Amino acid sequence: MNVWRIAMKELMTSRDPAMLIFMLATPVLLILILGSVLSGNFNGKEAVGTVRVLYSASGDEAAKEHWESWIGRSIDETGGLEGTERGDREIIVKGIAFDEAKMGEQAAIDEVKNGGYIGYATIGDEGIRYYGNDRIGAENAIVQGLLSAYADHRKLSLVLPEAAGAAEGAASSGEHFETRMLQAPPKPNAIDYYSVAVTTMIIMYISMTAGLLIENERVRHTANRLLVAPVTKAEIFAGKITGSLLLHLFFVILIVLLSKYMYGADWGDNPVMVLLVLASQIVFAISLGLGSSYMLGSKASGAVIMTIIQLAALFGGSYFQNVDNGDFFSKLTRLSPLDWTNDGLLSVIYGGVESPIGGMSAEYAAILLNMGFSVLFLAAAIGIMRRKEGL
Amino acid sequence: MNVLQLEGLTKSFGDFTAVDGLSLSIREGEIFGLLGPNGAGKSTAIHMIAGLIPASKGEIRLLDRNIARNGRFAKSNIGFVPQEIAIYEDMTAYENVHFFAGLYGLRGAELKSRTEEALAFAGLDDKHKSFPRNFSGGMKRRLNIACAIAHRPKLIMMDEPTVGIDPQSRSYILNSVRKLNEMGCTIIYTSHYMEEVEELCTRIAIMDHGKMIAEGTKAQLKSIITDRKTLMIELKSAERLNEEKLRGIAGVRAVALDVEGSAVRVESDAEVNNLNRVLQCIMESGMEIRSVDERQPSLETVFLTLTGRSLRDD
Repeated sequence: MNVWRIAMKELMTSRDPAMLIFMLATPVLLILILGSVLSGNFNGKEAVGTVRVLYSASGDEAAKEHWESWIGRSIDETGGLEGTERGDREIIVKGIAFDEAKMGEQAAIDEVKNGGYIGYATIGDEGIRYYGNDRIGAENAIVQGLLSAYADHRKLSLVLPEAAGAAEGAASSGEHFETRMLQAPPKPNAIDYYSVAVTTMIIMYISMTAGLLIENERVRHTANRLLVAPVTKAEIFAGKITGSLLLHLFFVILIVLLSKYMYGADWGDNPVMVLLVLASQIVFAISLGLGSSYMLGSKASGAVIMTIIQLAALFGGSYFQNVDNGDFFSKLTRLSPLDWTNDGLLSVIYGGVESPIGGMSAEYAAILLNMGFSVLFLAAAIGIMRRKEGL
Repeated sequence: MNVLQLEGLTKSFGDFTAVDGLSLSIREGEIFGLLGPNGAGKSTAIHMIAGLIPASKGEIRLLDRNIARNGRFAKSNIGFVPQEIAIYEDMTAYENVHFFAGLYGLRGAELKSRTEEALAFAGLDDKHKSFPRNFSGGMKRRLNIACAIAHRPKLIMMDEPTVGIDPQSRSYILNSVRKLNEMGCTIIYTSHYMEEVEELCTRIAIMDHGKMIAEGTKAQLKSIITDRKTLMIELKSAERLNEEKLRGIAGVRAVALDVEGSAVRVESDAEVNNLNRVLQCIMESGMEIRSVDERQPSLETVFLTLTGRSLRDD
């Protein structure tokens, strides 16, 4: 009960309207500014590398051989494909790779749904069936064009083998080609991305104020008054963390709602999981602030935390979206708490994000990492506090 | 019945001993004054009793229970008015008292009525919704007291509760202390103002260098200084005063002119009857005597004699 009472007190001592407006206005404006200024990074040319397509070929051996020789030749000829789709966005495709599906039809379709492949094509005596990811239109259009060309080529080669080579440019009849679009998550535009990135960056700044959570009680001389009451240090500690968590969660929800309804930012359709990832990051930020203030002292920890936040924002994709090229810099970005939290949120909202922990989705990995580090920081703070006289 | 009993209470910080074997008993209904110059160990002793810092040695018994083993019980029965103003400026007066009283387990209607009662006691019943940041120093001090008494503690410890406030608020607080005492609270009161302690306290302990050097009622303490008397002689003009001649009179220990230069203070051995010779010496110098006052030693004199320092030597 005292934990709750202290938590409510934390909320009551944070009712300054000027502070509330500042806390809301800063991220909302930052989302607008970054989302507008850097929208070119999201709406301009987008290099998607090699388009990967799964296929399974059945039927007679001649048909299989024809398909495999055809895709081999087509891929050779597609070096530097370009397609235009999604408004004014230009998609640059470096090549198309057809991988044989050895995992069964349903598993192959699931791979496409999860964004692992652009599409899945079955080639057999009954014709070609293509399952495309409908959110990746430009790449799909290129694949569909290739498959249509193949269908026409195959048809012609069966009827008039000698003319097949000359008729590759003929229009597709569509008779032997069936396409099914599969549901897959979209990719963020600039406002979508910076709504996530700015929100998580603002959350990191909570660690600055969290470092002063206990210090403020000392400065106001209320620490002793709390300690002479029948309340344990643990209750005071838990109450202050709970209050801070509730306060900042409330603000973060407001920021999410404002970005969603003011700017139309996409926060996906799983608000509970989004909230859990954000809450875990708030706990992480509070714990970082408290832990460092106990380990380094309030004054030193302020400078250290500011440095950590700046580096985390720089490497964590708060200003520019991280692209994983597999190089050293890409590996470095994985160390930023903002990187794993942003990935967790993008995974909830859009799917298809690589998780930093194998065998676990990115959102659960983000929660696990945030809570794991929180436990470490809080354990350090509690250990030091128990040895201290007073708070 | 003893409300508080200290046995050999000691607190050391490394090599420095802030409180050294303090033993005393405080009876129910007393206003107990704790006097001592800065660094005497008063605040450290009070902090140990309040459970803010652990004792290095010794025992503290509150209402006959060892507080080391009954911390929650002890805290529930102690009200602590710290030297500094310890309130939340961004919570209203009502919210401040309500919050601190709630930490003592008060709930619902009882919590509400005790909060209102404490604010009324502190003369802040018309300030429920006001924020302390807009209060005067005296009002903040009164709110500081209200936060410590809403749970109706048996023992209230007040650490310099009148520092830096106007005479009107000081008078209000001193009256409040008396009222709390009449309501059955036992009070430990520390102050730099000797006259407050002299006026309020039924019993006084003097601490210096972490030790208790004297303890008793005002009369008992003053009786410690039995070998001195002070003559205050007011003159029309002290220009022709021969201090050397006065010092030569048997029994005279010290002679000093007051600040205005119109009165002379003569410290003398109590057992030597030298009043006639002192007055004769002054009159022979051709000075006109306006009044003569033989004073008993004050608490200040006792304190000075025992500690060698004034209470407000900072």
